[in-house]
Amino acid sequence: MSDGSRSRLVKFGLFAAAAVLLPLLLPGYALQQVCIAIAYAIAIMGLNLLMGFGGQICLAQGALFGVGAYVTAILNSDYGIHPIATLPMSATATALVGLVVGLPALRLQGLQLAIVTFGIAAAFPQLLLKMGGITGGVSGLPIDGLEAPTWVPVSPELWLYVVSQCCAGIAALLVTLMLFGDVGRALRAQRDNAQIAEALGVNLTKTRLWAFAGSSALAGLGGGVFAIITGFISPESFLAILSINIVIGSIVGGVTSVVGAFLGGLFMVFVPTWASDINLSLGNLIYGLALILIMMVARNGVTGFIEKWLSTILRRTADNTASVKETREELT
Amino acid sequence: MDGRKSVSESSLNVAQPVLQARDVSVQFGGVQALSDVSVSVRAGEICGLIGPNGAGKSTFLNAVTRLASYGTGTIMLDGTPIEGAKVRDMIGLGVARTFQNLGIYASMTVLENVMLGGHHQFGGRFAQTIFNPMSSGARERAARVKAMTVLEEMGMADVANTIAGALPYPLQKRMEIARALAAEPKILLLDEPAGGLTHGEVHEFGELVDKVRRSRNLSILLIEHHMGLVMGLCDRIFVFHLGRNLAEGKPEEIKSNEAVISAYLGRAA
Ligand SMILES: Nc1ncnc2c1ncn2[C@@H]1O[C@H](COP(=O)(O)OP(=O)(O)OP(=O)(O)O)[C@@H](O)[C@H]1O
Ligand SMILES: [Mg+2]
Repeated sequence: MSDGSRSRLVKFGLFAAAAVLLPLLLPGYALQQVCIAIAYAIAIMGLNLLMGFGGQICLAQGALFGVGAYVTAILNSDYGIHPIATLPMSATATALVGLVVGLPALRLQGLQLAIVTFGIAAAFPQLLLKMGGITGGVSGLPIDGLEAPTWVPVSPELWLYVVSQCCAGIAALLVTLMLFGDVGRALRAQRDNAQIAEALGVNLTKTRLWAFAGSSALAGLGGGVFAIITGFISPESFLAILSINIVIGSIVGGVTSVVGAFLGGLFMVFVPTWASDINLSLGNLIYGLALILIMMVARNGVTGFIEKWLSTILRRTADNTASVKETREELT
Repeated sequence: MDGRKSVSESSLNVAQPVLQARDVSVQFGGVQALSDVSVSVRAGEICGLIGPNGAGKSTFLNAVTRLASYGTGTIMLDGTPIEGAKVRDMIGLGVARTFQNLGIYASMTVLENVMLGGHHQFGGRFAQTIFNPMSSGARERAARVKAMTVLEEMGMADVANTIAGALPYPLQKRMEIARALAAEPKILLLDEPAGGLTHGEVHEFGELVDKVRRSRNLSILLIEHHMGLVMGLCDRIFVFHLGRNLAEGKPEEIKSNEAVISAYLGRAA
């Protein structure tokens, strides 16, 4: 087994163990926070596809997350559809919205695209208020609470956790499928050098729009999961800063990593709270310093840092066993 | 001017060329990079394209791959004009190329780079990756087999999983040719592929190109400053000078052409 695949396996094992142990260790409220982190993680996976692999900046991921949340809420409260059954529709509807958001990306790149998409994020909460007839305006929309089916004897919190982990699993599978093979190569190729990609037959328009649609579908799925977890949504949950926070979560976790998306989601939910727990009046300062510190230490995000660290350890143990073997051979 | 006329006539005598460019002109703002140049390459033929720096050789390749648009003239592939085609269509029409300043993806592995050559054939099906992963997996395997076959032929199978950026420059150039071959082109356009090779390596490289071309009856247009390689390898040679055709002919004819010697060979030698 190669070094890379072994460290990937170790990383994945650690991750799976954490996923199973978390609900056993955490009290109900904290578990709900973890669920919210998972919802964000789903949106981050989408952004990783678009930003990490596609090289396109999108500062509207929070608004798209909101679109998914509202689609779930509206389908549930107005049409009585089971919350979980709304999720595919949230993802699809948000993907379509994302295609429209992606249109400027065909002409604009980099900072210009960042500004345009941030404009969408800034306008979104107001738009929700103006469309009070469907969105419920300031008073927001309720979503039915989930109850575990009778054959699963778990608490509602734990059931929510299971549901959100399953959705995250599906999201991870989708991202992996989307990035597997040719499509992932085409995405990276147009990111690294668009002209050469085009000479190789890559359809830049199609590739970029597709990345926007895929990224948005995951934002929508994450938003739907968020609505189910919180049981109530209002425009306040989808302010422009959410889009920035999702970008931060993505970069902190590592823009090309699925596991990193989970770390990014956890960062988004817990680090600001911890920072203000340490000192209420200095919360923002501590949070800001934490961000700076992480970027200084782990330039490729936390997963990049862990991977590097793991592969050094693995190599060192491998070297040790090799040298032990050598000495033994020398002795005999 | 008379010389240029006979160029066009001589290329009309034979069966339809794979690539035929007639009176192509390219302008960049105020710079006239190409003025009425004509080039033709027949099936299975390897043609050289030489000329001093700035003669317009790379610009000609860009015109053929539609990276540079030409104001007048026409370029035909198997007798069909390419004016309606987009940049991304060219590889599917059978034109694959390498770039003078390396057009590789340094952060990808060698295999990934070469598999990109098969993108037009095996890839580009976005929805399929989600809705029919089995079938896209099968395409991926086919692309991998094709790429590995080419890498073996180029003697690079052992570095398939190396990051391309970590290879020495000559191997990166060779990998770029492998990628172009993985596209299964009718005509291969090589822009100074032997750059950075030592004298011995150039000879070996020439043999490799010749082998590759014979095994697939490939047409090649080769831009190269290395005269030994061009003269030894090419069936015919086109000489550009200041964006115009200066001469065309067999290597011996070019070597003894007065105009070529004074404009180019005299200085290069
Ligand atoms: N994109 C461009 N914009 C403006 N001028 C250009 C562009 N590309 C090429 N030129 C000009 O066109 C002329 C021909 O350049 P070209 O690169 O085709 O020459 P070349 O024969 O390939 O030379 P070399 O042997 O140095 O590679 C040069 O004067 C060059 O400056
Ligand atoms: Mg050139």
